[in-house]
Amino acid sequence: MSIGEFLFQMTEAIRQTPIVEFSLWVSDWPFALWLQSNFLAIPGFQTLHILAIAVLFGSTLMLNLKVLGVSGKDQTLPQIFNRYQPWIKGGALVLITTGIILLISEPVRNMVNPIFWIKMGVLIVTIIVSLWFQAAVRGRMEQWEVSPGGQGSIKLGAVALIVLWMLVMVGGRWIAYAPV
Amino acid sequence: MANSIWASLEQSGLGTTIASNEWMFPTIETIHVFALVTVIGAIAIMDMRLLGLTSKNRSVKAVERDTVPVTWIGFAVALITGVLLFVSKATTYMANPYFLWKMGLMALAGVNMAIFHRILSKGIDEWGKPGGSVPAAAKLSGALSLGIWLIIPFCGRVIGFTLGVYY
Repeated sequence: MSIGEFLFQMTEAIRQTPIVEFSLWVSDWPFALWLQSNFLAIPGFQTLHILAIAVLFGSTLMLNLKVLGVSGKDQTLPQIFNRYQPWIKGGALVLITTGIILLISEPVRNMVNPIFWIKMGVLIVTIIVSLWFQAAVRGRMEQWEVSPGGQGSIKLGAVALIVLWMLVMVGGRWIAYAPV
Repeated sequence: MANSIWASLEQSGLGTTIASNEWMFPTIETIHVFALVTVIGAIAIMDMRLLGLTSKNRSVKAVERDTVPVTWIGFAVALITGVLLFVSKATTYMANPYFLWKMGLMALAGVNMAIFHRILSKGIDEWGKPGGSVPAAAKLSGALSLGIWLIIPFCGRVIGFTLGVYY
């Protein structure tokens, strides 16, 4: 089965669920109508969504490249962690908020769309890996330079998180191109 | 005629290949997104250090060492993918005011960065130390850069909504 065919089948399955009715209901909300009627509202919130992922992804790169020993060599791991961790969290908060607004702005196009649900699946995996990663780094960062043992899984997590966030971005871009 | 340059670009083998292929344009766009979020994220870290908002415990030079390689790699990828996207719809983009604004703002960001590196970064070893006070001109350069890079993605996003409006 080709990817296109798989996505088509998935769309057909979504059409059998109450998601369709729900998305139609959301599209009548006053807020949804307001977003639709203002020409710059959707690109504006999309821009905020992109800026949020820029903050989150840029900060993730800085933290994870430090974990991988590539950058931030003048700093300790706790220093880098404390510098970027709040921005990763803050970025995620703005990302989710603007994401919900964008979902409301075009409910049918998003919810009756296989790529959107694949993106949400990848996002949940990414958030879980991220929570584990941050706890693991926090737990080991004080001894990071003195005892290098057991860093393998954290370094693997650092690479995995970069790839996962890129997959989330793939989903974001391809929602617009889903064959629905 | 200037218009024929863009038309011939669009009608080139490369332009028509990207325009007529189902997955090529969105794939290049996706790589463009990876690149632009990397560029904006890294530049913002540097600008906010200049503004004295973050990374105050590090020298400006140290922050630069971390962010400049990431910025340039990201920018190179954004430029290559951007040119490929442009070639496939060259005449439409050249008629779009948001595209022209975007190009103008990027040029301004480039000039601003060149002025910072050639002129304003004098004495950076001294004022750029942790706790050092960043000169007003360097702060202004950082603020300008941050502002420009927040508007550029907005122009980019609106282009996608106005392709049918200007041509």
